[in-house]
Amino acid sequence: MDIQSNTSLQTILVELEGQRRLVSGLKTRSFLLAGGGVAFIAGGIYSGVVPVSILGGILLIVGIYFLSKAGKHFDEYRHAFKHQVIAAALKSIDQSMEIDYHSGISEQDFISSQLFSQRPDRYSSQDQIYGTAGKTTFSFSEVHAEYKTVTQTKNGRQEHWHTILKGIVFCADFNKHFHGVTIVRPKDMGSALGAWISEKIPLFSASSSDFVKLESPEFNKKFLTYSTDQVEARYILTPAMMERLCNLDDNSRYTISVSFIGSQVFIAFPLDKDYFEPPVFKSLLDPKSLNEDLEVVRFMYGIIAELDLNTRIWTKQ
Amino acid sequence: MIVVAIVIVVLLIIGIGIYNSLIGKKNQVANAFSAIDVMLKKRFDLLPNLIETVKQYTTYEGDILSKVVELRSKAGSSNLSDHQKLDIDKQLSSGVRNLMLTVENYPDLKANQNFLNLQTTWTESEEQIAAARRNYNAAVTDYNDAIMMFPGSIFAGMLNYQQIAVLANTEEERKNISAKELFNS
Repeated sequence: MDIQSNTSLQTILVELEGQRRLVSGLKTRSFLLAGGGVAFIAGGIYSGVVPVSILGGILLIVGIYFLSKAGKHFDEYRHAFKHQVIAAALKSIDQSMEIDYHSGISEQDFISSQLFSQRPDRYSSQDQIYGTAGKTTFSFSEVHAEYKTVTQTKNGRQEHWHTILKGIVFCADFNKHFHGVTIVRPKDMGSALGAWISEKIPLFSASSSDFVKLESPEFNKKFLTYSTDQVEARYILTPAMMERLCNLDDNSRYTISVSFIGSQVFIAFPLDKDYFEPPVFKSLLDPKSLNEDLEVVRFMYGIIAELDLNTRIWTKQ
Repeated sequence: MIVVAIVIVVLLIIGIGIYNSLIGKKNQVANAFSAIDVMLKKRFDLLPNLIETVKQYTTYEGDILSKVVELRSKAGSSNLSDHQKLDIDKQLSSGVRNLMLTVENYPDLKANQNFLNLQTTWTESEEQIAAARRNYNAAVTDYNDAIMMFPGSIFAGMLNYQQIAVLANTEEERKNISAKELFNS
């Protein structure tokens, strides 16, 4: 879809551009006032002139007031952007697609997808987009999952937060029935060594899932596969499916993780930035940022065709 | 003295480890074959129903149908070797594929729900057998590697373990079955 040729979307964008200007104006004003206020307070204290400090305090308060006002307006603007702009743009790709920006994939679902072995200590997910492409229902959401490590230093306890995933988790109904769990994770030094040990010395195998040695060298170079059922893993990961997953991975910046569980396929895409957020200091009428959002949606929507999930020639219809 | 004893114990433990792993790998191969066997049985069980359904609608496909019926009775006999079973399955695959192609001439049969269910189950069994065969080949490769590489080769020689041939790839394993080919060709 070309955003510029979509007249109804352009009308919405022009309307919202007014709201954006209001928010950006308020934010700029509040930053200037608060910044000025802090400078006056510091100047007043430094020179010992109390009225200057008081003036600075007043400016700071006014700045904070404007900031809170800007925050309220921003929430309205963000709501309108997601409800009107993103929702309309989604419809132009597929009529069935909708966005629920308050909700995302739940922490429980994220854990039970087994995409990552690390359990999150801090978790947030939003911007759930869902729909049905042909016979396949799908959804995807932005996820930020982190875990915590604590170290004891001279100055006491120190917490460190590490990212498990910052990106998008895609979930779709798979086109074949299966009962076990099959997980495809990026191959790195640590996991490759772990897989080697558990293969050579089964006693050290920590999980109930076994390493699956697949035939595709390209696939094995990128991923490690574990499954509770060796035959089922190959039933899901046919040579064609392995090739498709490699293609999908080639089109993503970072290596993806995939899991097949409970009749569904989950795919995690690590990403660098937040998507589906309205610009504040850049014009809404510049199609660049919205195009980036739509590119992500098209990519996610394209997975169903890429993985051929609408081919229902097996018993699952 | 103690050092020698430790060395002997360590060597003994390593030896037992290698021996056990070879046995484990050989069992894995047998296990993988039994997985194929289960899938073949499932597939052979589909045949009576499939034949009956097709018989009701088709009148001119005697040759193809009688070939499938003949293969079905062969598959039913209990004293088949593993390779005979695989061979029958191969012939059945092409026989049933031909049968499915003739369905184009019988719109009533094509619309029959029972037949459609059988068709999808058959396709599924095809993929499941392909998966089981790939699993078998993976187990065989693992076993062959273990008995050919040092130090496993020493034990394999003592146990008289021989290399096992992998199963040749079938058409289904090389390419993904496409709906278009199955239903519209």
